[in-house]
Amino acid sequence: MILAVLAMADAADSPQVQLGLIEAARAGDLAAFEALMRQHERLVLATAFRLLGSLPDAQDISQEVFLKLYRNLGKVGAEATIAGWLYRVTANACHDLRRRKQPAAPMEFVEDLRAGGADPQQAAAEAERRRVLEMSLRILPEKERAALVLRDLEGLSTEEVARVLGSSEATVRSQISKARVKVRGFVERYFRSR
Amino acid sequence: MHCKDWEERVVLHAGGDLPADQAFAVERHLAGCSGCQVLWSGMKESLDLLHEAHAEPLPAAAYTAVRGRVMAELARRRIWRRYWVAGLAGAAAMLVALTLAIWPEHRVQPLPPVALAIPKAPEVQLIPVSPSPRPRPRALERRVVARRKTEPRQPLLVRLVTDDPNVVLYWIAD
Repeated sequence: MILAVLAMADAADSPQVQLGLIEAARAGDLAAFEALMRQHERLVLATAFRLLGSLPDAQDISQEVFLKLYRNLGKVGAEATIAGWLYRVTANACHDLRRRKQPAAPMEFVEDLRAGGADPQQAAAEAERRRVLEMSLRILPEKERAALVLRDLEGLSTEEVARVLGSSEATVRSQISKARVKVRGFVERYFRSR
Repeated sequence: MHCKDWEERVVLHAGGDLPADQAFAVERHLAGCSGCQVLWSGMKESLDLLHEAHAEPLPAAAYTAVRGRVMAELARRRIWRRYWVAGLAGAAAMLVALTLAIWPEHRVQPLPPVALAIPKAPEVQLIPVSPSPRPRPRALERRVVARRKTEPRQPLLVRLVTDDPNVVLYWIAD
């Protein structure tokens, strides 16, 4: 039966298949839980990476989120979508990690960025621009960065972002707007100063 | 320079975040404001670059590593849980065995016997009835009932003797 569920999981990510995997994982089937992880690992790891800007930290957060998912399979099964739950838990876990760690000053990132681009001839212009944009996310305040990542990079609707972050839609719109202006300003200033 | 009043709406519109009525109003404003047009086009470009910059997927090894760590942790927890269950069951069994072995007085003891002294019942004297010489010819036969002549009945006395010599229970039954 489990093999059948796994075969179905490869075919489609329908809610029925997900529920089947959740039920099997709850019954103690680790293979079913691994299949569930495969379905959502990009969501968790990429979001954590974009929120934290560090792959090792993002991997730690992903591990924490999936272990939490395993403990809460009963609650998650009752939710409309597992993705919403994962986004919320990932955002909260990143927030907790940043609180535990000493936050890096924005200027530190800027210096790091300038150091990295000290020899632009060696790097392609495209790669440099990408790096600048990635770094621009790090200068944003945490809430604005979370709103921007979830809305513009993860493609969630404003309503979904509000639900994940526990804010109102108006607040999220304001945060998204400010974040976009700051990112654009950062990129413009960087290239103008070069 | 763009209009500060319109900045938020123009920026949101660039990302498609405004409802239709507000988007329409922004479109109308953009048609007549070059500064806001620059802001809007710059914002569109910035968002495209942002998408592009993050379109590159993370290395597959990063996902594999996370998966491996999670599965290893779950397997480790499962083994520990088995040990815990087995250990707790063993400890509970040992506790019960020790309880029975160390405190035998906790076993159920039989009640002490109660000595009963029942007095002998009074003897009953029966008077034999003499048979009639011959059957009576009468149609209606009269039965002669032998009447037992008994003394007035004595009440039954049950004396219950306990271990305590000062306590004797009497049960008198009529």
